[in-house]
Amino acid sequence: MKQLFQTTWKLAPVLMLLLVGSAIGARAQGAKLQMDQLDFLANKASETVDVKLDERLMQTTAKFFSGKDSDDAEIKAVLKGIKGIYVKSFTFEKEGEYSQVEVDSVMSQLRGSTWSKILTVKSRKDGDNVEVYLNMTGDQIGGLAVLSIEPKEFTIVNIVGPIDLEKLTKLEGQFGVPDLGIEKDKTKKQ
Amino acid sequence: MKTKIKIAGLVMALVIIAGPFRVRASGDGFNDVVKMIEQFYHVKHQSIPLLARAGMKAVSTAARIKGGDYKRLAEAGSVRVAFFEDQNFDSRGQISTFKTSMRTTLEGDWSPLVQTLAPKNEEQTYLFIRDAGAKFHVLVVTIERREATVVQATVSPEVLAQLMKDPNEMGKTLTEDATINDN
Repeated sequence: MKQLFQTTWKLAPVLMLLLVGSAIGARAQGAKLQMDQLDFLANKASETVDVKLDERLMQTTAKFFSGKDSDDAEIKAVLKGIKGIYVKSFTFEKEGEYSQVEVDSVMSQLRGSTWSKILTVKSRKDGDNVEVYLNMTGDQIGGLAVLSIEPKEFTIVNIVGPIDLEKLTKLEGQFGVPDLGIEKDKTKKQ
Repeated sequence: MKTKIKIAGLVMALVIIAGPFRVRASGDGFNDVVKMIEQFYHVKHQSIPLLARAGMKAVSTAARIKGGDYKRLAEAGSVRVAFFEDQNFDSRGQISTFKTSMRTTLEGDWSPLVQTLAPKNEEQTYLFIRDAGAKFHVLVVTIERREATVVQATVSPEVLAQLMKDPNEMGKTLTEDATINDN
């Protein structure tokens, strides 16, 4: 019993570090959505796009955008602090190929206290079908999620890190972020 | 003493159990993927393409990315290519199973970057990446109804940064770069 107590006491600092580490990890993961549950839709979809640009890759490549070139300088500024860009997009031939259950598997994660729906953005094509959610911890922006729900298309964009709508529009069509048809001047608050 | 023996036994058991998985994880990604494609689709690869690729000149996309005169994106001597030509790539509705197998095969060292699937046309593109010291290894797998290509190349971080701007085109650009006939 004494030996067990001594062993546990020696391991206490290690256990503490593990606990603190996992707590930090859990907070950092807060803005990252779980989307792998949607992978089975690839069998029904006529086209699937899955992009994962993680923190390590973002940080490694961001520093290689030169500040001298104006385009690269803008990209460098937009990417500053971004910890990941994750995109899943499914295009279907017919309507009704995906259900509310699939949509809810993502939406349920956005109902947490740190997420709030900030905008419904008018699509250039079909009207109010793009929703933008912001993840906030205190006054810090943790990330952003965009859901585009159309009868024949379901797209989720999840950006982890300090990002706002202006940066998002600059990322459209780049780094795997699809052209969502976001028009800043036509957005309306919910 | 008994406790020590028990711990040693436990460690031995863990080493024995984990052994095969560790070997699998540290395998050569390129060869592993080629084998996996052969097993899933019952096809055979060729290291040298059967069809002449003389028509494949320095592509405009690569030149556009680099700006000005065309320069190879991959580091010299780093390219490995396996072709599958004029063979049947029918996933029999199991394209997502193939996607999962691909991910499992490369799990560990390689990170998935882009995956595009179009099951109706049996078209798939996979792009994986891994650290190679100061540079990066990029693995591109392109599958169509009658042919497939597996390319592994080493790229500098500067080239990778430019390619990252359009990850959806990255696989196509690197595959074209790797299969360009310089003559």
